[in-house]
Amino acid sequence: MAMVQVSGLRKSFGALEVVKGVSIDIRDGEFLILVGPSGCGKSTLLRMIAGLEDISGGRIEIAGRVVNALSPKERNIAMVFQNYALYPQMTVAQNMGFSLEISGMKKAEIEKKVADASEILGLNPLLQRKPSQLSGGQRQRVAMGRAIVRDPDVFLFDEPLSNLDAKLRVQMRAEIKALHQRLGSTIVYVTHDQVEAMTMADRIVVLRAGRVEQIGTPLELYDHPENMFVAGFLGSPSMNFLRGTIEGGSLLLSGGERLVLPSVPRNAGGELVVGIRPQGFAIGTQNGAKATVKVVEPTGADTHVLADIGGTEITCVVNDRVDFAAGQEIRLSISAAQVHFFDPVSEERID
Amino acid sequence: MLNSKVMQSSRTQALLLIGPALVVYATFAIWPMIEVVFLSFQHWNGLDPQREWVGLENYQYILTKDPVFWIALRNTITWTLLAVLFPPTIGLLLALGLNEQLFGRVPMRAIYYLPVIIAPIAVATMWKWMYDPFFGLFNQVLTNIGLQAWIKDWLGDREIALYSMFVAYTWQYVGFSMVLFLAGLQSVDRSLVEAARIDGANRWQSFKHVTLPALRVTIAIVLVLSTISSLKAFDIVYGMTGGGPAQSTQMLALWAFMQSMQIFDFGRGSAISVILLLVTLTIVVPYLRWSQRDEGASE
Repeated sequence: MAMVQVSGLRKSFGALEVVKGVSIDIRDGEFLILVGPSGCGKSTLLRMIAGLEDISGGRIEIAGRVVNALSPKERNIAMVFQNYALYPQMTVAQNMGFSLEISGMKKAEIEKKVADASEILGLNPLLQRKPSQLSGGQRQRVAMGRAIVRDPDVFLFDEPLSNLDAKLRVQMRAEIKALHQRLGSTIVYVTHDQVEAMTMADRIVVLRAGRVEQIGTPLELYDHPENMFVAGFLGSPSMNFLRGTIEGGSLLLSGGERLVLPSVPRNAGGELVVGIRPQGFAIGTQNGAKATVKVVEPTGADTHVLADIGGTEITCVVNDRVDFAAGQEIRLSISAAQVHFFDPVSEERID
Repeated sequence: MLNSKVMQSSRTQALLLIGPALVVYATFAIWPMIEVVFLSFQHWNGLDPQREWVGLENYQYILTKDPVFWIALRNTITWTLLAVLFPPTIGLLLALGLNEQLFGRVPMRAIYYLPVIIAPIAVATMWKWMYDPFFGLFNQVLTNIGLQAWIKDWLGDREIALYSMFVAYTWQYVGFSMVLFLAGLQSVDRSLVEAARIDGANRWQSFKHVTLPALRVTIAIVLVLSTISSLKAFDIVYGMTGGGPAQSTQMLALWAFMQSMQIFDFGRGSAISVILLLVTLTIVVPYLRWSQRDEGASE
């Protein structure tokens, strides 16, 4: 277990810079998730921590030691790959013991460590199987077992759940989180799935185009997004953005409709963007801004209503089983206690 | 009803499609093989309308009274062992080298493969010139750098002629193994290599535990194909030494050819061919069974 300090990290592939000066302090025992859309540099960042990619600029420290020039094995890290990367000709036990065997550990000691790890992960009945005889979830567990036996300073996960089906993903999510709580180890975890990030992380780093957009706990990011990108990236369905001007405690949309706001920013001159979570609307028939229903999606627990308000498409999530027809006119009002304001040009948060 | 009709028509279609090829193959490959087996039990000079049935006499002769057959068999075995060992090993090393991000690796791959597409008889002629004791490249170079003591009659010395010839053969076939290994190396999972690096494996350990297991099938194919092509080595011997000096480079395929086409004893020539066929089959049949089992397992 250890701290990881990333400072001013850069990575270029030829003329293309994919990581543009990233600085993150990862605390001892922290579960940190790097999240962002494809091509944001999150995997490259992880691979640089692992030592699988050269560092073009900046510095990485693991447990107080600069590791820029160290090979992966000298960094004392373990990595779980998206496609599991299990050695196909070896049994589960051999896969898990491989790194220990290479390091010259005694056989009895390897067996003990493998037995301990397989106990934690429930792999005992599978130890003599080959990877091809395992299901996706079992392979994933073996890959984690291979990481655990090494007792590394840092665990690195590169989109480990992407190859699993939805149900198994939810289950493994809980298992990884439980594992973290049990081992108390430092974990750096890459995913493009914001639900994974929200549910598992101690802190989330949102990356876009090689830069850090925001770092914080899941709820900090959810409640106080620094900009429209973070606001739109976290939360499902995504936050709605409405453009307009503030007029006496209301948002005046370009189409002439008015939405009463729960609060207004201190300095609200001119046009701005209001961010409202889909759960923050109330749908009625009498009071509020006029909107037209486009699609109704019942999910069972709640209902998603896609509507058009003054030319902007928004999503509302309501708990009732509403029965609207497409094209029907409804009245929208804001029920949320909190909405977010952003500058329409810089997309930064306005308080 | 409909189903069986569809099956019927697709079977007819399949027969129509493979029919012509099957006829050609049967006429020019299967029938001559059967004919050779018949001939090996007969006495025939190639012209006589009468073929005399002599039973196992031809086999008895070549096994007990023909010293050249035993030389040829021994040479063929030596040749095959060398051909299974050296060209694949060198080919694998070249493939590993040329699989790295080297400058100019694409033209290098082409250059190493080039000899494979040259006709063996041309390779034989070329190397015969280079081995010429008086005007050949090798002895010239040795003279020029002051190593006259190393000068040899490369193809005229009974002790070394077979090995001199084998060097030429290796030069020609290394590219063949290299290309197959290069293709095999593409199937090595990159993340496995990375996992091994993180597990602390050095280059050799990573090669042993990741690359070699991934190349298992390729290695088997290369070894079997190398065995087959070395067992039927003919053109290069015919072109370089003709089996000489004093039969010291004689091989089964060439000896069968000489018995039939130069001594006009088709019976004995065919008997040698049949023995060579049996040797080949004992190696190839297990391979075919193994590869079919592998196919079945992957389904």
